[in-house]
Amino acid sequence: MSRTLFGAAAFALAGAVTLGGPLAVGASSAAAEELNALVWCDHTDPALIRPFEEKHGVRVNLKEYEGTGTALALVEQSQPGDWDVFVIDGVDVPRVAEAGLLAELPADELPLDQVFEPVQMRDVTFRDGKMYAIMEKFGYNVVGYDKSKVDPADMRDLSVLWGDKYADRIAVYDYYIPLMNLVALKLGMEPSDISAETLPQIREALFELKDRAAMVGEVVSSTTALATGEADILLGGGEWAVAVMQADNPNLDWVLPDQGGVLWSQSIAIFESSERKELALEFVKYIMSPEGQARLATSDCFWGMPANREAGALLTDAQKAALRWDEQEAFLAKSHRYFIPDAELDAEMLDVWTEFLQR
Amino acid sequence: MTAGSRLRAWGFVAPAALWTAAFFLLPLAVMALYSLWRRVGMTLVAEPGLANYLAFVEKSFFLESLLNSLEVTLTVTILSILFAYPLAWILAEKVPERFQRLALLAAVLPFWTSYVVRSYSWLLVLSEGGVISTFLLDVGLTQEAVSLANSRTATVIGFVHFFVMLLTLTIYANLVQLPKSYAKAAQDLGAGPVATFVHVVLPLTLPGIMVGAFLTFVLCIGDYITPQILGGAQELLLPQTIMLQIQRRSDFPMASALAMILMAVVTLAYVACARWLKLDRA
Amino acid sequence: MTPRTVRLRPADLLAAAYAALLYGFIFLPVAVLVLFSFQESRIPVPPFDGPSLRWYEAMFADRRMMEALVNSILVALVSSSVSLALGFLAAYGLARHRLPGAGALKLILTAPLTVSYLIIAMGLLITFNTLGVSRSLLTIGIGHVVINLPLCFAILYSQMGGHQAQIERAARDLGASEAQVILLVAVPMLWPALFAAFFLAFTFSWDEFIIALLVSRFDVTLPVEIWNMLRSGLNPQTNAVGSFVFLISFLFVIALDLALFGRRRARSRRGAAA
Repeated sequence: MSRTLFGAAAFALAGAVTLGGPLAVGASSAAAEELNALVWCDHTDPALIRPFEEKHGVRVNLKEYEGTGTALALVEQSQPGDWDVFVIDGVDVPRVAEAGLLAELPADELPLDQVFEPVQMRDVTFRDGKMYAIMEKFGYNVVGYDKSKVDPADMRDLSVLWGDKYADRIAVYDYYIPLMNLVALKLGMEPSDISAETLPQIREALFELKDRAAMVGEVVSSTTALATGEADILLGGGEWAVAVMQADNPNLDWVLPDQGGVLWSQSIAIFESSERKELALEFVKYIMSPEGQARLATSDCFWGMPANREAGALLTDAQKAALRWDEQEAFLAKSHRYFIPDAELDAEMLDVWTEFLQR
Repeated sequence: MTAGSRLRAWGFVAPAALWTAAFFLLPLAVMALYSLWRRVGMTLVAEPGLANYLAFVEKSFFLESLLNSLEVTLTVTILSILFAYPLAWILAEKVPERFQRLALLAAVLPFWTSYVVRSYSWLLVLSEGGVISTFLLDVGLTQEAVSLANSRTATVIGFVHFFVMLLTLTIYANLVQLPKSYAKAAQDLGAGPVATFVHVVLPLTLPGIMVGAFLTFVLCIGDYITPQILGGAQELLLPQTIMLQIQRRSDFPMASALAMILMAVVTLAYVACARWLKLDRA
Repeated sequence: MTPRTVRLRPADLLAAAYAALLYGFIFLPVAVLVLFSFQESRIPVPPFDGPSLRWYEAMFADRRMMEALVNSILVALVSSSVSLALGFLAAYGLARHRLPGAGALKLILTAPLTVSYLIIAMGLLITFNTLGVSRSLLTIGIGHVVINLPLCFAILYSQMGGHQAQIERAARDLGASEAQVILLVAVPMLWPALFAAFFLAFTFSWDEFIIALLVSRFDVTLPVEIWNMLRSGLNPQTNAVGSFVFLISFLFVIALDLALFGRRRARSRRGAAA
């Protein structure tokens, strides 16, 4: 028996030595040229990435993150030249551009004019007349619900969620910025009214909400709660949470409340330290093309409105219906961008949010 | 003992010791240093101070998350031992020897699916539209849908599921090490099955229980996935609070301070376990 | 049925019922997982509307998932082999030789057991960043050896009892060299413990999430890739991946079992015949 044993042990050790080599190098280093992109998860859909890889004969390495803070931490922890493309919340572009992280984009080569007017957001993507990012996708953090279980009319009024009618039927999306923005709207404020002075009011309203909430969760737990019937309402939800599942559960829907909605927006940019700026620009162009936009809008991970109007021609009627294509004008008019606090207020808001979770 | 054999002994131990020093002790030291620094906005302030530890005491949610963690971990450890011991004993004593390995493999098999997926499938099992609720409704045991997901109960169930397997393994390994002659000797001396178990088998398997219990404690109190997927953010546990610092604020100094506190708690538990075991043996 | 041979006592029935119950508990989430991996619709809760292979197709088409699978196997294999080798050597050195400061050494070697994975992961992340080490599969592997080395050491050390030392001494007295003692006497006697240690280490590495999450970059292991997928929303592809991994594990364990124990069984049968 001992011989069998030794065979096995020797095999394991030999394996360790042989495999140790490739381990260090990493499995992906075989491909010719690579593009490293720091993205939200919707960019990881092969249906979106493959066509670009095949056309250019390159490999796109994707690292996904949630939240600008996380992305900046990742960038901080990397060597210069590690990253080429950056997909980032539109409203966060100014502070990232100010830190010198982003390269200038050639405005004349990108379809900025085809982007929906209200989401062009030139005030954040331009700095001193230079363009540093372009909006690629947007949507809403509002109210998602199961219309077979709740009265859709109720969903148009945020304050109903603070009443007893739907107590323990509410799931809350775990992202402090849009949720506090929604709470501000409920209180009759604008998101930009959030300050150290008004924060106690927000805090109180959040705690009241928590007493009525069945759960608070990130993307998967909150959408699971909605889909499995654990909750009937998802506060902070929108097309990103329900559109993917509507084909299987047509009862899922979402609405902008009368108090207004919170608009999320993603932009795409190129890192200043990138050593493959030409290829990176090709990637940005591809993402902004009608084809890329249509694929991005209906990506596996989450759906959202394509920033480029021209993508509409490539989307099916059902897809457009799920995205509420025809209502965008009204929705945009009633929506507020994410309010980005300064570092100090941000820390206080996070403390309040942690207390909210802890309750 | 000759100098040569001592040198040889060092040769055996050195690789493991060096590895531990480089990749365990050094990082801990770096982290301890970090915990004294501060992150202000986007920058790291490298001046030693106790600001983060003061924040732990001042902000109630930090302390609460530690208490939640302790409650959950102790509940899980005790429940897992109570469930696992009989199973380990049945496997060691009642199952014919040639089937024991198979039975053990079967017990471990579900844990090869991936921890993340397991937590997620418990979510599907426990939720209101899930398997348990549907089953209870169909059988007529309940009139209303039952929801166990997104709660501390769900977190505990998810944990116990994993640790019952782990403890079964460690206790079983201990049980089969016991020479059968011990129990037989006790019986020959007139001890009944219960007395034999209480006075001979149980004390001799305490090391197995304690090793398993301790592993459970450490793995459970430091786990992030299970409460994050199953707990529904109802009462945060300490690892969740730590990850909030890393992922939402990239505040490594505060996260390091919390990690130091977590480590201190575990070390206390370890010292208690070790002392108790030693006393018991003496 | 031959009623005369089997006499079941109530205690045995109770034991069987208990074991069945616990195995049921252990297998419940896996059963649900596998069942709903064949779900046709996107929502993996009752009613079951399959069977459909839709989500398996999606999984096999998912290049990142397949790469993560290979990465996971690689990391688990290498890190548990290294852990076992280092752990065995250290255990042997400490159990068979008297060393000054042995107590402290044992304490240090087992210390990682007392520290949560999350803390180990954070420490490694901060340290690698400070030193400018870029993150890769190698850094994940290093982290996994940190967590599994003490486990292997503790298991093996606890099994190196006095009676084994006597047998080893006897071998030495009979002229065996140190290498021969280790390879031909110590290792075979420790076989069950070695197997258990490797098996546990492999399982822990295979399943480990938080270290792999924090110290990886593009090349991730399966748990991290699944976590990425989970964050992207509800999807029976998660079930398909989990079930597929389960199937692979099952085949692997069977193969391992046949390879390692099949021969002994055959031999013992021959022995019985003789």
